[in-house]
Amino acid sequence: MGRVADLGELAGAAVEAARDGEAVEAYAEEARRTEVTAYKGEVEGLTFAESRGVGVRLIAADRLGYAYAADPSIDEVGAAVARARENAELATEDEFNVLPPAMPIEPIPALFRQDQAAIATERKVSVALDLEHLAVSADPRVAKVDQAGYGDAVSRVAIASTTGVTAEYGRTDCWAVVSALAEQDGETQSGWSFRVARELGELDWGSVAEEAVERSARLLGAIKPASGRVPVVLDPFAGSSFLGILAGALSAESVQKQRSLFAGLLGEEVGSPLMTLVDDGRTLDGPAAAPFDDEGVPTGRTELIAHGRLMAFLHNAYTARRGGTDSTGNARRGGYRTPPGVGTTNFFVQPGATPVSDILLRAQGGVLIQDVSGVHSGANPISGEFSVGATGLRIEGGELGEPLREMTVASTVPEMLKGIAAVGDDLRFFTAVGVPTVLIGEMTVAGV
Amino acid sequence: MLDRELAGQVLRAARARGGSFAELFVEERYSLSIRLDDGKIEELTSGLDRGAGVRVGHGTSFGYAFSNRLDRDALLEAASAAAAAVVSGAAGQVIDLRAQEPPVVHRAERPIEAVPPAQKVAWLREVDDVARAFSPHVRQVSASYGDSTQRVVIATSDGRWVEESRPRVRLGVQVVAGRDGNIQTGFHGPAGLAGLEFFQGHPPRTTAEVAAKRAVTMLDAGPAPAGEMPVVLAPGMGGVLFHEACGHPLEADIVDKEASVYRGRIGEVLASSLVTGVDDATVRNAWGSFSFDDEGAPAERTVLFRDGELQGLMYDRLRAEKDGVASTGNGRRQSYAHPPIPRMTNSYILNGPSKADDVLASTEHGVYVTALGGGQTNPASGDFVFGVSEGYLIEGGKVTSPVRGANLTGRAIEVMSAVDAVADDFDTWEGVCGKDGQGVPVGSGSPSLRIARITVGGTGG
Repeated sequence: MGRVADLGELAGAAVEAARDGEAVEAYAEEARRTEVTAYKGEVEGLTFAESRGVGVRLIAADRLGYAYAADPSIDEVGAAVARARENAELATEDEFNVLPPAMPIEPIPALFRQDQAAIATERKVSVALDLEHLAVSADPRVAKVDQAGYGDAVSRVAIASTTGVTAEYGRTDCWAVVSALAEQDGETQSGWSFRVARELGELDWGSVAEEAVERSARLLGAIKPASGRVPVVLDPFAGSSFLGILAGALSAESVQKQRSLFAGLLGEEVGSPLMTLVDDGRTLDGPAAAPFDDEGVPTGRTELIAHGRLMAFLHNAYTARRGGTDSTGNARRGGYRTPPGVGTTNFFVQPGATPVSDILLRAQGGVLIQDVSGVHSGANPISGEFSVGATGLRIEGGELGEPLREMTVASTVPEMLKGIAAVGDDLRFFTAVGVPTVLIGEMTVAGV
Repeated sequence: MLDRELAGQVLRAARARGGSFAELFVEERYSLSIRLDDGKIEELTSGLDRGAGVRVGHGTSFGYAFSNRLDRDALLEAASAAAAAVVSGAAGQVIDLRAQEPPVVHRAERPIEAVPPAQKVAWLREVDDVARAFSPHVRQVSASYGDSTQRVVIATSDGRWVEESRPRVRLGVQVVAGRDGNIQTGFHGPAGLAGLEFFQGHPPRTTAEVAAKRAVTMLDAGPAPAGEMPVVLAPGMGGVLFHEACGHPLEADIVDKEASVYRGRIGEVLASSLVTGVDDATVRNAWGSFSFDDEGAPAERTVLFRDGELQGLMYDRLRAEKDGVASTGNGRRQSYAHPPIPRMTNSYILNGPSKADDVLASTEHGVYVTALGGGQTNPASGDFVFGVSEGYLIEGGKVTSPVRGANLTGRAIEVMSAVDAVADDFDTWEGVCGKDGQGVPVGSGSPSLRIARITVGGTGG
């Protein structure tokens, strides 16, 4: 077979296929992934993946068309451009459709670790086996896992456009996940943990096992609480679920379409003065760091909510043009199959100064929520109302007490943000979302 | 996409180190998606996906390797990578590949590619017009049209050769209604394994009206009550609950990991005697159907509960071999990039003896749920939670004012045992189910049914 074109060549081929008056952008990516899961001391599954693809965005007469192809030849890239052109003809004119101009990009070399790219499969297998072994040997009540796995990826992205963008970068990522099952007297409880790093040497998989075990075992014997309004502490696991609702509401796309609870509130108090919410696409503390966003605009740091005041929204080139402002470098896409929308990078609540032990002392008679379920279905991202299922622990005298299950927690996002009474000093990233432990003055907890 | 001889070579390379079986899954998928938002056709996307995955089984372990490339070299390379995961020694056998007869064929009367994209754009425009005309309170409409044709070829070392083409169509509409600072949303999204004749039975106009009505109705909603009470689920919604609360814990991989409340309990009565539930991939043109599953096993109808008694599990190949039973045809995958796992197809609670009107009339006080926003379940404990996206109070046997912010929580066995009325007005609900990072199309279905007592979470008293 012939030589395989590199990503830059594929992207460049799309740009060359542009006709006069057309703006064309190609986003090309490739990845090699390995995933290993372990169960009962053996390898349960070992998956190797190789993938590449190109997505073509074409704007002609203010109309946008998109097409993609998996592992295309140079000719097939040309065919994708033709399909994007046909699609553009059927789309509605929109004067804000635009490709961003080329801008200087500061590389972030630390994203790619040569050592990680060279790790042997045997080593990955041994990590997965060790992860499972640690999870089932830490506590006699935890004898098995639902899932224990290690995964990694080496990937590259290249973007080229008729506006002069030519950007490319590579990255390495690895992760460990455990979902542990604790059993006692016929009752089963599950608890999970997850960590991600850029190389195996920085991945603390022991703590993933330890945390999953602790979080499953401490729920044994859980009861339904009585209904009432009580202080609520969200631990970083639970808090990160709620942050997802905020991410959508802070996108300029949602705001411009009147689909955000924050529309029209710029400059207003939307939360407790203790709360500062940041999106930072460059900080290496978060796993989503990248030198440029998914349309080639340099990433940056945006304070969205500063001390409770709404300061900014997240923009890509389209929403920035429509809103008469600059892109914040928040064009995001789910890979080459979709054109960019607006999304978060490393999205986190700035840690406060309060130690978690103080937060627990202040939450007398309250509840620590360790997991919420149904946020994607039980929350209305537009009105901000939510009612979600939760598990957690009662808080008595600054200590975690009786475990609780079958609880529902209901409130609204604005009410919750304004009710923040303390922010912990323990910021922790889950994938690209990070939250410290947070105390909410009072929320309705229903159990019956 | 590939010939049988090459498939045979790939399977032999995959069994070079033994293992209990080898399988090759090749896929090519053409898709079109069109998105309307804010009155504009924002985006049309054409996609070409293709790739192949090779799997080698070894007990309940497996090696899997996939690539976008379909050439001989790439397939043989994937085969040896997958084989490397298997530690035994001697090469395994590969039986001559023989084409399998499909147990059911899901015909597309009006092929997807026979209708130009301009017509599909016109449907979305109609949706926008109809939804906006529904009420002055409609603020925003977004709708997406999607079709795809997935062609698969599956070859296995025990001689199966399967070719299938799966056309899928879907139209989803989301409407935002607003009044006096109050904003509510409504969604409706019918879908089928069918050609474009699907939209004769499910006219875009009706989909728009259903979504708009949901959003506008909820503007008048008060806070949902909190506490234990009777809940009547509208047609289709019991199926959504059945999928989450009962279906997942009956998937054989979850049972195998001892993470299911139903483990070791086949033959026990674990639901009301009114509940008969099935998983059925043979329902013609239903969203979760197929002719063969993604391991090449024929589509089946599997009875899960008969009159409340637990009958069986949903199996893929690995778990079936371990338990010494036949696969139930539930081995599914999102694409070539994913190894198959046990998944539901169309999970239905079948019709019962009651009339829906009588079920409501005999409910003194409770909540009537006409749309669930989806949900989650913990299969190990059976705990589940669902958001209610459209619900009403039932007062004195009548459906009265809408309520919002409600959810339902409970435990699978208790709640299914508390079903005390099942009507005869079966309907379906289509969705995409996520599990282990893989999304597959699934159908749910049920008639109206009542749960005598379940916890409703809300902000009201």
